[in-house]
Amino acid sequence: MSVNGQSAPGPKDSTPTATPAAAPASPHGPAAPAAAPAAGPVGGRAAAPASAQLRKAVIVGGNRIPFARTGGAYTKSSNQDMLTAALDGLIARFGLQDERIGEVGAGAVLKHSRDFNLTREAVLGSALSAETPAYDLQQACATGLETVLGLANKIKLGQIDSAIAGGVDSASDAPIAVSEGLREVLLDLNRAKSLPQRLRVLSRLRPKDLAPDAPNTGEPRTGLSMGEHQALTTAQWKITREAQDELAFNSHRNLAAAYDAGFFDDLLTPYRGLTRDSNLRADTSLEKLATLKPVFGKNLGSAATMTAGNSTPLTDGASTVLLASEEWADAHDLPKLATVVDGEAAAVDFVHGKDGLLMAPAFAVPRLLARNGLSLDDIDFFEIHEAFAGTVLSTLAAWEDEDFGRTRLGLDGAFGSIDRSKLNVNGSSLAAGHPFAATGGRIVASLAKMLHSRGRVDGRPARGLISICAAGGQGVVAILEAH
Amino acid sequence: MTSSQPVILGEMPSLSKLYLNAAAAAARRRVLGTDEGAGLPETRHEVRDVKAAVENLTAYQHLIGETASDVLPAGFVHALAFPLAMSVMNRDDFPLPLLGMIHLENRVVQSAPSRFTEALDIRAWAENLRGHRSGSQLDLVTEVRGAGEEGVRWRGVSSYLAKGVFLPGIDKPTAAAVPAGFAAPDPTALWQLGVDTGRAYAAVSGDFNPIHLSVLSARALGLRRSIAHGMYLASRALADVGAAKGDAFSWSVSFEAPVFLPARVALDISTVEGTDGAWERSDYVAWNSRSGRKHFSGAVAAL
Repeated sequence: MSVNGQSAPGPKDSTPTATPAAAPASPHGPAAPAAAPAAGPVGGRAAAPASAQLRKAVIVGGNRIPFARTGGAYTKSSNQDMLTAALDGLIARFGLQDERIGEVGAGAVLKHSRDFNLTREAVLGSALSAETPAYDLQQACATGLETVLGLANKIKLGQIDSAIAGGVDSASDAPIAVSEGLREVLLDLNRAKSLPQRLRVLSRLRPKDLAPDAPNTGEPRTGLSMGEHQALTTAQWKITREAQDELAFNSHRNLAAAYDAGFFDDLLTPYRGLTRDSNLRADTSLEKLATLKPVFGKNLGSAATMTAGNSTPLTDGASTVLLASEEWADAHDLPKLATVVDGEAAAVDFVHGKDGLLMAPAFAVPRLLARNGLSLDDIDFFEIHEAFAGTVLSTLAAWEDEDFGRTRLGLDGAFGSIDRSKLNVNGSSLAAGHPFAATGGRIVASLAKMLHSRGRVDGRPARGLISICAAGGQGVVAILEAH
Repeated sequence: MTSSQPVILGEMPSLSKLYLNAAAAAARRRVLGTDEGAGLPETRHEVRDVKAAVENLTAYQHLIGETASDVLPAGFVHALAFPLAMSVMNRDDFPLPLLGMIHLENRVVQSAPSRFTEALDIRAWAENLRGHRSGSQLDLVTEVRGAGEEGVRWRGVSSYLAKGVFLPGIDKPTAAAVPAGFAAPDPTALWQLGVDTGRAYAAVSGDFNPIHLSVLSARALGLRRSIAHGMYLASRALADVGAAKGDAFSWSVSFEAPVFLPARVALDISTVEGTDGAWERSDYVAWNSRSGRKHFSGAVAAL
């Protein structure tokens, strides 16, 4: 089956790993309560982690370009430009010139229709071998993490030996569609066969059809923007303005400290004059954040607590992660920072407000940890994507809520609370910004590096949890472990 | 219902002609005075073998937010049958002026779905003329069957008010209780309705009533701006309830304050599930997102 030495052998019975495959199903007693709530209780699936039969997928490293606030340094850079820039930095860092990678997977949320093969085009424009296959993926803000999980699974299965996962988004260079009226006229014009037919079609054009149709962050089924949705959830979980501002402050402080400590030196390639994320305010303070006026939830009848300071701004940027089998990394003399242990996706019924739009991770994490026989206490680093400070705090509040744990998660009580000193220790999206599809790659590469430097904790590999919420009421979460 | 023979129309009447005729009738009444006849016409109108045009159906579905399936949305059936219902109110022996009639309420029971490929028989009549504190009220009933079939698939009852028209022999009820104050809940959806909302719905429903079309045409009829079609709003709410409702359901709406265009309408849909988790009903209420004034409310429920 091997052609040109590229294809990997099929699934193999590698030596059993240290993963406790026979671990108790759940630290919360019976994993699957008989009367399981419909929303997807914890446990419920009999399958133990399959890692005992599969080889490992390791994270070799990552590279991203600094994230820029929209309308800033990357205004004229396209998604393809930025993804190629991030890819080129990764290639340079790990000496991948002319390398035929098993597969490259990436995506963008705001994508031009002409970019139907965005990732393949970026590969063709990079120093990778032109024989490297690529595919595009889109799962809103979870795009980046989902590419990591999908490609890691291919490596685990032995389908490929190496992979690059990535994501990119530009809110500056966003696609603008023509109006529905103009679009239909143009399409019908193309189908018209005779001149009179064409004239008839053209006569349907009205001045208003010439106004463009710009993308917005509104949920198609509700018309509410993501911020307005989160404002409802923030109010539902009674998250205070002070708590949100504190989380935002910590994000900026931690990210600034990480830059100062040189943490990003081998995670980032400067681009278009930027060497740091342009949204980072190293000098911000709780006092300054407290002066900002609420921007979301003003019309919703609830107390408005969400400001531009505790919400992520629209951002441009790209990120990439190099994944490999242990053998491939060794053969190329490359580091093995962390392994991709497992991942889980969830979705909530947000349309009529049963759950908050961005609350899917509150369900995904308990399911993922239960399947792996873990609890929140077994996690050394929590990377909870800060779409809004209120998102992180609402998720934590849900996990600490007895009633939510019992009725929605099917547990005996609250899911648990986390040690806040382990949360987003090198900053997250509130400070770095959030180019939708690029956030997953940013977090995976940073967490892999943190886990590698932590090494072992209590005789086991250091463990990190990633949680990313996404539009459409979705969420993707994952566990990484130090290699 | 009456036992008299139905008037079978050869084809669906044209709404624009009906509106013109109604305008002429209104002028005639102004000159000649109102007929003294206070009863509703006993005749029912019927059209057979009605088929929906698929282009029109698709445009309707996209406008309302329904997936373009082959099944006719319940609100589309209303629009399809609407000219026939109007033709009843347009009869010379109909005692109330058609123009200026206010749509108060609409109740639909859909027992079985219809596809655009099927021919439908549609019947309409007026009944239940009664007093209202500010005029006279009546129900227009529409029934839809598969062509040649006995069982009713879709039955709609539309309550209309002729404001300021008091017919002899009809009791005027005492003033209704003051409606309870409305406190807007947190919305689950927000609709941004542009000035062209009325024109867009007119194009797919055929209801070119001037009060919906433009500021000027609405002013000509005494409104300060154009207003959204009530059935557009109710049909969007029905679409927003989603697929849980299945093919057989009841759907009601009662209209309060009109939606002047353009508008930001906030909406709350709350779902009631049975003990087994199955969908039972969804209640909806909509209000002006700025003033908090209630526009309409209603429910979709399993049969």
